[in-house]
Amino acid sequence: MRITDNANYDSVKGAISRSKEKMGNLQFQSTTLKKLNTPSDNPVGASKVLELRTDKMNNDQYQMNSKMAETFLNNTESAVADLAEIIARAKEIAIAQSSTSTSSESTRVAVSEEINQLYKQAIGAANRKVGERYLLGGYKTQKAPVDEQGNYHGDDGQMMVEVAKDVFLTMNIPGIEAFNTQPKVAYAKQNGYGNARNNDPVDQEEILENVNIFDELQNFRIGLLTGNMEAIHSTLERFDLLHSRLVTTQAKLGSRIQGLSATSQSIDRQNITNASLTSELEDADMAQVVSDMGKEEGIYKSSLASSRRLIQPTLLDFLK
Amino acid sequence: MGIANIFNTGYSGLTASRAGMATSGHNISNAGTEGFSRQRIVTEALVPDNSGKSANAVGRGVRVARVERLNDEYLEKQIRNGQREMSHHEEKEMGLRQVEDIFNEMNGDDINHQVTKFFNDFRQLSNEPESRAVREALRESTHAMSSNFRSIRKQLEEVRTHFDSRVESYVGEANLLAGQVAELNKRIRLSDLAGGTPNDLMDKRDMALKKLASLMDIATQKDNHGNISVDIRGAGSLLTEDIVRPLSIERTPADDQGKSDGSLSIRAEGNVTASITHQIRGGKLGALIEVRDKTITGLVDRLDEMAFTLINSVNDIHSQGVTTDGNSGINFFKPVENKEKAAEYLALSDDVLADVNNIVTADLADAPGDNRVALAISKLQNEKMMGDGHSTMEEWYNSIVSDVGVASSKNKFAMNQQKDIMTQLEKMRDQISGVSVDEETANLMQFQHAFEASAKVVQVADEMLKTILSIKRD
Repeated sequence: MRITDNANYDSVKGAISRSKEKMGNLQFQSTTLKKLNTPSDNPVGASKVLELRTDKMNNDQYQMNSKMAETFLNNTESAVADLAEIIARAKEIAIAQSSTSTSSESTRVAVSEEINQLYKQAIGAANRKVGERYLLGGYKTQKAPVDEQGNYHGDDGQMMVEVAKDVFLTMNIPGIEAFNTQPKVAYAKQNGYGNARNNDPVDQEEILENVNIFDELQNFRIGLLTGNMEAIHSTLERFDLLHSRLVTTQAKLGSRIQGLSATSQSIDRQNITNASLTSELEDADMAQVVSDMGKEEGIYKSSLASSRRLIQPTLLDFLK
Repeated sequence: MGIANIFNTGYSGLTASRAGMATSGHNISNAGTEGFSRQRIVTEALVPDNSGKSANAVGRGVRVARVERLNDEYLEKQIRNGQREMSHHEEKEMGLRQVEDIFNEMNGDDINHQVTKFFNDFRQLSNEPESRAVREALRESTHAMSSNFRSIRKQLEEVRTHFDSRVESYVGEANLLAGQVAELNKRIRLSDLAGGTPNDLMDKRDMALKKLASLMDIATQKDNHGNISVDIRGAGSLLTEDIVRPLSIERTPADDQGKSDGSLSIRAEGNVTASITHQIRGGKLGALIEVRDKTITGLVDRLDEMAFTLINSVNDIHSQGVTTDGNSGINFFKPVENKEKAAEYLALSDDVLADVNNIVTADLADAPGDNRVALAISKLQNEKMMGDGHSTMEEWYNSIVSDVGVASSKNKFAMNQQKDIMTQLEKMRDQISGVSVDEETANLMQFQHAFEASAKVVQVADEMLKTILSIKRD
């Protein structure tokens, strides 16, 4: 086989540039610490990495949503708990005042003042805010849900937030559902017709007597002031209804908070799995890179050394 | 046979050796010339004058029959084809790398990221629909996303323009090379007629053909007179003997093969009616046209489709809701008529630009906490709206990125493979046509010795003549 000078030079140049290219690649990997630097390095991996990054961003947002929903729910729960306590206290008073042995006109006038205080506290609890938002007004978060007369000005809006992919959670309880034993009836009364949202007339059979916290406290106070023992006695049962309504609401809120923390934990776990998968796809294995570099350096040096021997001598060197 | 003839015999040897040395010298000087084929002299014995009459007739020395070029025509053809493939992949690699740079998402702050952020900002807004700060953040990030869509589309257009200027220069080069081949055809024919051996001209023509082949897929045809005619495969003749049909370029409107409006198309003379842009395949021109009209056009279309879907789906939901001021029918994005250039026109609507309170979150008037519209828009993230309901917005975009990556890595692979093939072919060519300085040095010495020996023959003849002339005196 004829080997010409050009063939020699070409193979030397080829070997050197191949080595240099490989070393350049390894060098780049070691400066970026990534093996996935352009989509063509691993097209399938690249699109997977983008997907995982999207998941991560979404999960961060879901976590944020969860935290905000949790704050909102916690505050709502404490407002409802306060209302429940107020009703419990009112019931205690009602029990004491419904028996003629412990009730007299003077005690009734005295406790009516306490009931007035409780009423004001109840309004305060109903109008509680987190930041600039009223907790119990439904969608109407920017004005107080309950006025001084105890009238409800909110709506029955349910604020849904996404706390995990396609998992939606209602982060509020419209006040009307907590304050009334029959919210539908209350809503119909507020709007002068059936349910405002769906416009469906309230089912006749469902028209039961509705009890409202604020109305009932006022009824009780008036009963106390007028000495109407009958009225005082009848409030007992209604306070029971209200109290159980509030406790049920509280339990509902509690279970939502529980659910939130479970979802949030599962997102954390997913983040960890995703992070390790992302790293596997795009991070360079430094031990591997360093050892490959050593190997490539050896190849480069030996090709330089052999080139020196290959290029130098020609027949002319021996013809002197 | 007279003594004078011995002089001639010696002289013929001197001439032949000198020609041999000159040829070796020519080879050595051209050891580094690209496309050069080594040459060697072919000598033949001069037969006796009266051969046949005399039983002991002696030959008359040597003659240089011709100077021959060591070259394998079929190998040259293979190299031409190999070079075409190689240049095709190299040119494509350059083009695709530019495209890939535009879509390089791997460093993390690009369209995929921004689209995700866009939907998450709506999710955040569904959390606190009352917050002005969240609205402003949403408006800012949407603005950034829109300008990124525009800028990516613009960059793709710029790559196209850049490709056009390369097309222009390659067409010029092709015409120049065709002219060279035609001119060389003529000179080779003349030289042939004059009985010469136009080795170096043929090398030059091979080089010009190789360069021409690196530009596009050509077919060559050699006729009896040694002319090489060139056809552009699939698009007719480029040159016949020494007549060139030059290519020309012009800006033409978009066509149905993906060429965009106003980019260059190529025409051949004598083929005035139709452009041959899409008939040119292979080589650098083929690569440019393929990337320009297939790859980039495809990407721009997909980007436009994505922007179009985004604008419409968001506006559909947004315009149904009610602002805090009780207005409805407000668009979030500036509406567009059709898909074309949608990515370029993607922008916030004037209403939203004027006031963040025109970002709609609610279904009901006078319900600042109503987040249903914001929630519905954020839900679009997971909706399979693209590609006839096969992928979500982000999946669609990711597939653009991965397709660019696949095209680029496939091409890189083919290029490296072709590089190996070319190395092999060049090696084979070098084995036949390449110059080995060692070998030429040995030849030089051989001819030098032959020269010395022939000189000796002349010297001996001279002495013989002297001897004869001295007989008379004695």
